[in-house]
Amino acid sequence: MFFLQQSDHTIGVSYVLIFGTIGMFVMAITLVSVVVFHQRRVIKFNTQLQKLEEEKQQMLLKASINFQEEERQRIAADLHDDAGPLLATARLYLNENLIHQEPAVQLQSIFSAKQIIDDSIQLIRNISHSLMPPTLKNFGLESAMKDLFDKINGSGVINASARFHDNRERLNDEQELLIFRILQELVTNIIKHSYAGFIHLTQNVQGNFSYFRIHHDGKGILQPEFEQLNYNSTGLGLKNIESRIKVLKGSISFNIDSTHTYYKVTIEVPREPVNKKAIHLI
Amino acid sequence: MFFLLFKLRTKEKSLRVIFVYIIYCSANEFLTIYFHAYHPEKLFILFSVFTIVEFSLFCLFYFYITLNKKIKILILPVWVLFLLFAALDFFVVNKMNDFDSVASGVESILIILMCIYYLVVQIKGSNNLLVYSTTGFWIIITFLIYLCGTFFLYIMAENMINKDRAFRVQYIVINSAFNILKNILLSAAMLMNTSPGSSQILKNDDRDDLLSFKL
Repeated sequence: MFFLQQSDHTIGVSYVLIFGTIGMFVMAITLVSVVVFHQRRVIKFNTQLQKLEEEKQQMLLKASINFQEEERQRIAADLHDDAGPLLATARLYLNENLIHQEPAVQLQSIFSAKQIIDDSIQLIRNISHSLMPPTLKNFGLESAMKDLFDKINGSGVINASARFHDNRERLNDEQELLIFRILQELVTNIIKHSYAGFIHLTQNVQGNFSYFRIHHDGKGILQPEFEQLNYNSTGLGLKNIESRIKVLKGSISFNIDSTHTYYKVTIEVPREPVNKKAIHLI
Repeated sequence: MFFLLFKLRTKEKSLRVIFVYIIYCSANEFLTIYFHAYHPEKLFILFSVFTIVEFSLFCLFYFYITLNKKIKILILPVWVLFLLFAALDFFVVNKMNDFDSVASGVESILIILMCIYYLVVQIKGSNNLLVYSTTGFWIIITFLIYLCGTFFLYIMAENMINKDRAFRVQYIVINSAFNILKNILLSAAMLMNTSPGSSQILKNDDRDDLLSFKL
């Protein structure tokens, strides 16, 4: 036990050595423990975050499938409820007994059947246009949006306008349709929920990205609300916007301007110019 | 030894540095016994050389494990400055016949600071890899614990080792205890073989100028 046997004048030094060593050792151990526990907490948090992200992805996928199903049901209902009875009525006019009728009656029946078939054609065209707006396909996004805004302005309730700063080069068909659907959904939401007096759409290009921004003076939402609604709401609209943005590999942000007067929604999309083959086809 | 030789086959340079350090520590222990028995007057030279080699090897190891380029650049001047300082302490102050407490103290402080910086980087990083499953972490905590434990011992050694027999015993006990702990922790480090890496990109998407709604 020579370790503890010391002269009086060195006992103070010995205490300094022992307590100093123990103190430094404890400090080192504490530091290491703090790092390990902190990292474990961070990893736990990251895992939870990842799980939430996976849940969100699952929800978006489900929303996308539901949306497709709803769209199919709507088309099926339109065809069944509108086109079906029209064609059945036309068939009634053109039944087998028609040849036994008077020529005047025959002519009247043929004329009525023609009218009904014309109505059916118009109905099917409307269904087709609702799936893919012809203006969008033939003249591009700017024309399609202006067309949509003209219809909105026709109501006289909201003043809608669009300004495309750089639209020299069209995006490819798929991108244009996806962006049109996103903008359409946003505009519908603004009309339905924000009580806005005006809606203004601007577009510009910077580098390899296209930017779209909708301003309105109604009651809008901000990014946290968008994320919350997107996560909690049972509605499909916002989820569809998010899933379309993901398909476009772009981003969307909901803000308010510095004067707190206008809400703005900004969409950033990487540009994929229209391919040459598609231009020839158009 | 077989285990160490097996690990030597690794291509990781940082592990090779630690392997050299372990070999050097073992050789130093035998040399200490030899010098203590036959040339006690030259024992302090061995200790001084050990301080310099230890710091040099740690700097090399730190150079390999750190991802920060600024730190990599900074290591070289720190090492050179320490070398100059240790040489000055050894030749001018101690005149080759006393324990190099000042150089050891400075070495300990520098290594402890580097270890703390490494741990802070680990805390700040968003790496999902468990920190204690990496070689670097175990080696860093080995040096941290070893140098924290022997810090007071080394800085007091210059004044006490030749005067107080009780201190010499304390020196042997504390130094041996932390050497054993160091070897255990370095063995644990050798069992791990992964190194972390992380990157984070932040993006500012303010496009007010580009998309002003004023016509």
